[in-house]
Amino acid sequence: MSEPIIRLENVHFQYERPGEAPIQALKGVDLAIAPGEYVVILGHNGSGKSTLAKHLNALLVPTTGNVWVRGWNTRDRERWREIRSTVGMVFQSPDNQIVATVVEEDVAFGPENMGLPHDEIVRRVDWALEQVGMTPYRYRAPHRLSGGQKQRVAIAGMLAMRPQVLVLDEATAMLDPIGRQGILAIAHRLNKEEGITIVAITHFMEEAVAADRVIVMAEGRIQLEGTPREVFTQRALLRSLHMEPPPITRLAMALHAHRPYFPGDALTLEELVAALKRYWRGRPIAFSDGRSFSVAAGDSIIQYEDVGRFYMRNTPLEVKAIEHVNMHVRAGELLGVIGHTGSGKSTIIQHANALLRPHEGRVKVFDQDTRDQRTDVRVIRRRVGLVFQQPERQLFERYVGDDVAFGPRQLGLSREDVRARVRRAMEAVGLDFGGFKDRMTFSLSGGEMRRVALAGVLALEPDVLALDEPTAGLDPQGQNQLIDHLLRWRNQGETLVMISHNMDHLAELADRLYVVAHGTVIAEGNPADIFAQVERLQAEGLNAPAVTLVMQALVQAGLLPPEAMRIHRFDDAVALLGELI
Amino acid sequence: MEDFELLRNVTIGQYIPTNSFIHQLDPRAKLLAAGCLILAISFTPSILANFLMMLVILGIAWLARIPFSYLLRGFLLGLPVLIFIFVTQFLFMGRIEPSGHVFFEWGWFRITQRSLYIMALSGLRLISFVFLTSLITMTATTTELTHGVEHLLRPFHRFGVPAHELALILMVALRFVPTLAEEMEDIMKAQASRGADIGGRRMWRPDKAAKAYLPLIVPLFLNAFRRAEELVYAMEARGYVGGGGRTHFIQLQSHSVDYLVVALAFLIMLFMFFFPWPSLYATLF
Repeated sequence: MSEPIIRLENVHFQYERPGEAPIQALKGVDLAIAPGEYVVILGHNGSGKSTLAKHLNALLVPTTGNVWVRGWNTRDRERWREIRSTVGMVFQSPDNQIVATVVEEDVAFGPENMGLPHDEIVRRVDWALEQVGMTPYRYRAPHRLSGGQKQRVAIAGMLAMRPQVLVLDEATAMLDPIGRQGILAIAHRLNKEEGITIVAITHFMEEAVAADRVIVMAEGRIQLEGTPREVFTQRALLRSLHMEPPPITRLAMALHAHRPYFPGDALTLEELVAALKRYWRGRPIAFSDGRSFSVAAGDSIIQYEDVGRFYMRNTPLEVKAIEHVNMHVRAGELLGVIGHTGSGKSTIIQHANALLRPHEGRVKVFDQDTRDQRTDVRVIRRRVGLVFQQPERQLFERYVGDDVAFGPRQLGLSREDVRARVRRAMEAVGLDFGGFKDRMTFSLSGGEMRRVALAGVLALEPDVLALDEPTAGLDPQGQNQLIDHLLRWRNQGETLVMISHNMDHLAELADRLYVVAHGTVIAEGNPADIFAQVERLQAEGLNAPAVTLVMQALVQAGLLPPEAMRIHRFDDAVALLGELI
Repeated sequence: MEDFELLRNVTIGQYIPTNSFIHQLDPRAKLLAAGCLILAISFTPSILANFLMMLVILGIAWLARIPFSYLLRGFLLGLPVLIFIFVTQFLFMGRIEPSGHVFFEWGWFRITQRSLYIMALSGLRLISFVFLTSLITMTATTTELTHGVEHLLRPFHRFGVPAHELALILMVALRFVPTLAEEMEDIMKAQASRGADIGGRRMWRPDKAAKAYLPLIVPLFLNAFRRAEELVYAMEARGYVGGGGRTHFIQLQSHSVDYLVVALAFLIMLFMFFFPWPSLYATLF
């Protein structure tokens, strides 16, 4: 191994808190990163991985121990400018790292700080924008870009400083699948072609598949280190560290449990399909529909009739947000809504509880037209509970119990009724009423705060629950807990509407799907029919569940008939493939 | 509060890209010219003169191809302030400025020629100011403005004016206006979904309104502080250590038309200052 470009030696770090015991975020980390390496650091929320990342470019300095970047100790303030132009860093939130109001000027911010001559800045800005494919957007205002595009701008801003190392601190956590793939592709290309060392911090193991080295953090320490295959096959240990293998690996593992001779270590789709081909026994098999629909089609309770809406209406900046939207929600179903960022799906769902009222067409909720003056929108909002993206950002009370009680208190219920509703709502999301109601809201973990926010809507005891990206930004453990609750409510016959980018989740949950693109509904149907149209989904910037992709590969290889494309659920796939290998 | 769209009614700070010749001016020229016009409006105590200035400003809007209706929308936003000033002046100006012919008197309340004159004048001036500031932000991007301010202030650096820091503060503030407005929209919608009576009747009672705004203000501030903290990390990670030793990507270039526009504005100002306007009241009656 050549001389490391970054070296950490017994690094400890603690966050001081006034009046309380300090938090030990790092408890003795030793790490050396070689030039040109692609390292992925995995860990659940609170594992210390982001604290570690901020040590790599002197944003944080160890409490004890040392960090060297190209031989410079990060304690040496005089070297911070050199250290930070050597180690670039891209953060999680696309919005909070853009300084300027024009893309190209934001990219120029770093080189300006380095005091480079004007001509050199221009050259670097051109080059950096080209590297991330954002040249056509150079004169745009950043707030008009999608999350994935903003992250590309952030990467360009770092590249313009010509760093030798690029640290991606959960840079993909808030992005949709296409945005995430784009960022990962850029990171890999920069690593291969420009020789830039990449350190990517994430809680998603699928992002670690193509890395040179994977490091798993927990409890402020490095728990596991090695090539992706070495790390991913330590199943029991990973599970104890709250890490979830990628869907492909989970499928391989499940097949391995079923047929012990089948290797359970596939990391990518290609590897899994190759293994399946190798062990294929191909006995003929009768195809059922893959899933019997437990939900009888209930009455339609929300109808959209040719709905259209403008943004910035009656101004020179007017744009059409959605148009000709026709859809309906039936009682007792779990309805999935999928579409890429900016397709208009959040605007559509906000019509369901009269937050937005249509400019064209009409929306009827429980037979009431939301545009009708006589309709009491507060009643509609109570009957259709809407949970926003990152709802934990709207919490405001000091204590958990008070925050959940906000809605019921607005209804003018008695103290006992409010208390009973808060208890039911908290227990529905798996928060113990006695244990959590007096906890400080802002001391909770991200997953717990999300569940408090969810309880706040459930406490209104709505007839329909609509959720906008309920799992986005959570770590795998938080996601799984939430999915378990949704699954339980679905099976209890609740009516649920769910916007999600996560096709693997929807494959397990949804009874019916709407596909939204360019502000309108382009397809409707049951998941088997929708997911089978893989090419069409991909053309709209979406993807299919991992299971469907495996099926597609097997159909294309001629091993399975085309009907197999309708299989999208994990257990169905394991049951089918287990018989064929 | 039509459906929680906050940005729709804020015309100050909204760039309208019609690409007119006004848009293409050097931002320094725009700022200097606007400064001259503001001085002219502020120091010319004649209604006729201010009426002419209003026509000049509408002429600029026409040249910039800004729809008049859109300009008016920003004015409507400032209407409560205007009405407040108008009512206060109506009630008290007669006593403060007792000179001139008295039209009406009842107890301490009095309407005089002079008080009517002042009300008309300040109304005209305020509307002109709102139109002019809206026009600046509609024809210049926020970046142009920040660069304009920074360049104009740079000569004063030696007197301790932190030109770069001021410009950076302005830039970051403007950069986060749409972000925070969107955030506020989301918070309002989310709390309304939880049963909050946002924009309802109780908002008019100060005691109730304060409590009703708490669910909006607390998350907005918490999120703004979190953004600020992340922004500091992001700026430090890009090597920002203050204005010293920085270079500039954007280099402003002025053309002869820019000088011409500033000269014209300056001449208008001089004209307004020195033209023998008819005596104070003649213009009103």
